[in-house]
Amino acid sequence: MLTDPQDHLAHQFPLEGELRPTFSGLSDFLHRVEDMIVKELAKNAKSHAFDGFDVNWEDQNETVSCKHRLQHLVAQEKGLHVTSISWSCTGSVIACAFGRVDDGDWSAEKSCVCTWNLDRRGLNPKRPNTVIDVARPVMSLSFHPTSPSLIAGGLYSGEVVVWDTNRTQDPVLAQTGMSTDAHREPVYQVAWVPGQRRGEMLVLSAGSGGRVLLWTVDGGSLVLSAGYALVRQQVPHNSSLSKGRGSSNVGVTSLALSPWDSDTFLVGSEGGLVLKCSFSAQELAAAPPDGESVALRAPAQFSFSPRGGPVHSLHYSPFHRNLFVSVGTDGLARLHSLLQPDPLLSLRVSDSYLFGVRWSPTRPLVFAAATGQGLVQIFDLGRKSLRPAATMDQLTSGQPAYCMEFNPCQTDLLAVGNADGSVNIWHLSTELTEQGHRETAQLEQLANEVAE
Amino acid sequence: MAEVEETLKRIQSQKGVQGITIVNAEGIPIKTTLDNSSTVQYAGLIHQLVMKARSTVRDIDPQNDLTFLRIRSKKSGIMIAPDKDYFLIVIQNPSD
Repeated sequence: MLTDPQDHLAHQFPLEGELRPTFSGLSDFLHRVEDMIVKELAKNAKSHAFDGFDVNWEDQNETVSCKHRLQHLVAQEKGLHVTSISWSCTGSVIACAFGRVDDGDWSAEKSCVCTWNLDRRGLNPKRPNTVIDVARPVMSLSFHPTSPSLIAGGLYSGEVVVWDTNRTQDPVLAQTGMSTDAHREPVYQVAWVPGQRRGEMLVLSAGSGGRVLLWTVDGGSLVLSAGYALVRQQVPHNSSLSKGRGSSNVGVTSLALSPWDSDTFLVGSEGGLVLKCSFSAQELAAAPPDGESVALRAPAQFSFSPRGGPVHSLHYSPFHRNLFVSVGTDGLARLHSLLQPDPLLSLRVSDSYLFGVRWSPTRPLVFAAATGQGLVQIFDLGRKSLRPAATMDQLTSGQPAYCMEFNPCQTDLLAVGNADGSVNIWHLSTELTEQGHRETAQLEQLANEVAE
Repeated sequence: MAEVEETLKRIQSQKGVQGITIVNAEGIPIKTTLDNSSTVQYAGLIHQLVMKARSTVRDIDPQNDLTFLRIRSKKSGIMIAPDKDYFLIVIQNPSD
């Protein structure tokens, strides 16, 4: 939220108006130093003395390297894929969810959630520190933003669960169960969002049934607090949309929360839609009531130009409030401004599907994309060439890389979850993580360009 | 006093100047063009730094004293003109 700095000060530190008598000598002081300061400022503005001068405070890391290759043999033997990964808020623990991403009825497949503490001595990459058995495939995972032991997960069956890894007996803290409020279809995204009360966090879940639901933890249950339903007829038609046939539900395959505006979120759908939504939307959803305890609302407010296939991943830029990137099965990474339907930039990343995209947490112009060929491509929008700045092979023999997350504390670590059941922890080079001098300005320039 | 405001305006109009803060001998900001939270941050941190810089200079040579302090960082520069009663702190963006 931008506030005019002048307004702030007129209040406490008056620039105009009366000078209190206690500032005696202030005028003399300024008189004494003014010339010197103006001279120094002018010299500094003209000086080329420091051109190209860089200081190395940190150890320079020249290369990108794979630090750990984490595997859970039991899950790998069953041919389970890593569907989702999440770092704990302390950055020490990485959790991964096992499930299946390909077609077929996997609803009866038993699966698990594993965690590894990378900071603990004696780390065994083949032996997770925690293994939580789950009766059904887990499709999405999210660590609590402040409690390092709580993890929310979305299951193939539509259930949403919160586990507490500190509990030794039964790690399930709360769950939706199979109530009438719960999703009936796989939950592809879970996240924690702040609630109304101070310190309260709600679990957000979104799935292919077209529902986006908010849950509160109440005893051993997740209780529905608010809900949204995405229905085709209520999708804004501010861009040309092909009216596809089939279910009127808009199946959600990806969701991104805005770090800038707590009311806004983005949704990517199975049909290729990318929608800007609002938590405070009032309009009721045109979905037939199905015994839900809360009236579902229609959240979509704006449609971006649709993609040719499911939108697998969306991410808001941490450095610009109007920018986000989206990827899907068309192999393209699209850079969008929130202000217009058409993308600012479409980058061909791969001939295969793209499953994940994440902006760098430290370099405004850098983002990473995970491909169906098992590669993670890193792009630097500051470079003249549109070729990747780095390519990280996940060594999966061509199987897809499904998900990626940057470590929130050690921002040069990137975790990648793969179809072969492995999680690779990559250490990025200084070049890919250290912010350049004018990066934020360059990003601003990109954001202001109008799409052709 | 109009004179003080005029002087600050002249300094503010120099190329690349992002903000000006004046703190008193106790490190309390008394005039600023920055927002409140930045002002408070700069005032406290810079005051401590100036006192340390000054004692460094005087420890090396008790007949010497600090006259000016300039910090250059990747993203900006901070210039400090110290005095017995006040410090003038100016933040400037580097030349491109």
